[in-house]
Amino acid sequence: MKLDFLPELPFALSQPVLFGALLVLGLAAGEAARRYAALPRITGYVLAGVLLGPEATNLLSADALLDARLLVDLSIGLIVFELGFRLDFAWLRRNRWLLVTALAESAFCFAALYATLSWFGFRPLLAAAAAAIGTATSPAVVMVVAHELRAEGQVTERMLLFTAVNSMAAYLALTLLLPFLYFEQASAWQDALLHPLYLLAGSVLAGLVGCLLLLRLAAWIGQREEGQFVLLVAAVVLTVGAAHSLNLSVLLALLTLGMLARNLDRAHVLLPLRFGHGGQLFFVVLFVLTGASLEFASLATAAAVAVAFIVMRFLGKALALLAFGRLSGIRPGGAGLLAIALLPMSGLAVVMVQDTALFYPSFGRELADVVLAAVVVLELAGPLATQFALRRAGEARPDG
Amino acid sequence: MDEMSFSRSAGLSVGVELELQLVRPHDLDLSRDAADLLSRLGRRKLPGAVKPEITESMIELNSSVHTGCSALLAELEAMRAAVVQEAGVLNLRISGGGSHPFHDWAERRIFPNERFRFIVERYGYLAKQFTVFGQHIHVGCPGGDEAVYLTHMLTRYVPHFIALSAASPFYQGEDTSFQSSRLTAVSAFPLAGHMPFVADWAQFTDYFARMRQFGIVASMKDFYWDIRPKPEYGTIEIRVCDTPLTVRRAALLAGYAQALAAHHLAERSLQPARAVYLVNSYNRFEACRFGIGGDLVEPYSGVRKKIGQDILESIAKVAPHAAQLDCREALEELAAAVRVGQTDAGWLRGRHAARGSLADVVRDACARWEKDA
Repeated sequence: MKLDFLPELPFALSQPVLFGALLVLGLAAGEAARRYAALPRITGYVLAGVLLGPEATNLLSADALLDARLLVDLSIGLIVFELGFRLDFAWLRRNRWLLVTALAESAFCFAALYATLSWFGFRPLLAAAAAAIGTATSPAVVMVVAHELRAEGQVTERMLLFTAVNSMAAYLALTLLLPFLYFEQASAWQDALLHPLYLLAGSVLAGLVGCLLLLRLAAWIGQREEGQFVLLVAAVVLTVGAAHSLNLSVLLALLTLGMLARNLDRAHVLLPLRFGHGGQLFFVVLFVLTGASLEFASLATAAAVAVAFIVMRFLGKALALLAFGRLSGIRPGGAGLLAIALLPMSGLAVVMVQDTALFYPSFGRELADVVLAAVVVLELAGPLATQFALRRAGEARPDG
Repeated sequence: MDEMSFSRSAGLSVGVELELQLVRPHDLDLSRDAADLLSRLGRRKLPGAVKPEITESMIELNSSVHTGCSALLAELEAMRAAVVQEAGVLNLRISGGGSHPFHDWAERRIFPNERFRFIVERYGYLAKQFTVFGQHIHVGCPGGDEAVYLTHMLTRYVPHFIALSAASPFYQGEDTSFQSSRLTAVSAFPLAGHMPFVADWAQFTDYFARMRQFGIVASMKDFYWDIRPKPEYGTIEIRVCDTPLTVRRAALLAGYAQALAAHHLAERSLQPARAVYLVNSYNRFEACRFGIGGDLVEPYSGVRKKIGQDILESIAKVAPHAAQLDCREALEELAAAVRVGQTDAGWLRGRHAARGSLADVVRDACARWEKDA
């Protein structure tokens, strides 16, 4: 008896096995967080990621995480597409104060972070880059928490709108800092100017092309829900893939795709967007992978900076919302809750740091030390804050 | 029994209540922002009043009391414009129509106030299913006896009001084949139906006192009748209309009610008859199901005819009174629409046929309400 039909030991863990295990563990941890600790499911996914990641069992090694980057991009792409799809230009036209509030929210937050980091003695370029990344609220966290609580209402809508705006502002600011980074590295001035231009114009163009394709095909397919679902997923995957291989920004391309799909669809050929359970799959993947890439070591070295970063980030956002919130038509008390809801930082910040590190490893390392410690804290505290704010605003379903 | 003493109101004055849909633009489903919208409207100087309704997806406009329907229309127009403007700040859209075509009733949330909480406690899921949108028309009566008389007289016209206002062909994502599906949601309530066959206000207050003694009702509000006397306002209230797709049509319907009341109070040519209630539920069903194309059995003569035909005849009959009340043109406009078979339910089905999705129907209905001039 040779039994050579049996596999050899130790079993080689194939990609599908790893992927399936990641899903099962994430799902179970999310459910456990919900049932036994009344925490948002996201917190469970993240903890599962931490357990699997290099900081604990190393089942998801740093290399594996790098390989999984496309999955992360796909998930973020899907989420920011949906976020962009909620951004209604007509609302901003009717309610100018809303636009003012959204811009002030980003500007105040950036200013507060820049001032704080300068005070800690970081050089201007580093402070500005970290402040830019800190300006963004995590699109994934606010979307997922809003989905999970089935929240609807003014605080929820504005939270999504401001997140779309501050994510875009963050990316824009970070990209506009690139020339200075080139100068710091004494590169050619052509590179310094062309790189940000390529990123911004290229990503917007990718979104625009994807959008035109989507609208054309949707008009041809007609208002069949199954058909449009496949089409939407295809448009998102295609645009993510294109952005990925062209070294463009997935965030900007997909946000553009979503925004334009909503606002250029004059003939209303697109049905209301419903990713349903399919979207949930990507949420689990995204947060487990984000959890795995958290670096707790940075927390110890940069604790004071992280605390100041988080506090001033909140104050910057809160100040803008309290100053302009009422003018934009939010109810009394809503502005404060909104500031709390906008706390989360997550995968997007990690991705922005990674992207910068790709081109400028040493600068990326410095940036990571400043930003990622705050991300560790907000990755865990952020979902709770958003959940609290939406519940307190009375916009979550009681059984949500 | 203070509640039952009939207030004096200017005879034949008219006022309306309109329940409106709050729609969120991103998926055209019902939103739940009534509280935010109401608090914004509360800070504006508005004619009439704006009030919460049973679920957070609705608000109710109350006009003030008017003597003619052009003044009523002007006021409704001003209220409409204010509501649309404030809704715009909150990124909400507003629509008329008797039902939202595809919302899921289980998703609705009850507006947090004591009366609505009581209704949920009492009626369970019926309360959330009650997220339908109606127009109530108040007509002023000189006294309680007149109110009872008019209630009996106008019951004969209930199918007219249903057919003329019908604007709820779609419900829970389906074409119901009805012109007005909304009234089915009302019929489920135990105290729905019509006023008992009482001869005058004294008999009516006796009836009410007994019902209260039995513990079946606490106030007049607990009766969900098609037409009910409202002693507090000194009016009778016609409650069978769907909210039309425009304020204009809402004002026309009020003008028709006013002219009918004027005719019956002035002529007194008919006496209340049990036959009216014999044919009532049949006529009512025909109106809900087929609208102006349905059949109606005329209770006094026993003649069967088309509801549309009966409307045209009755408009001609009350025309002299309409002229005195400044609603003659309103009635002509209603009659013209009946002649060509134009109704809001038909318009909604037309939009669905042209566009292919119920979301588009909602979008078009919102645009129609918001642009209405």
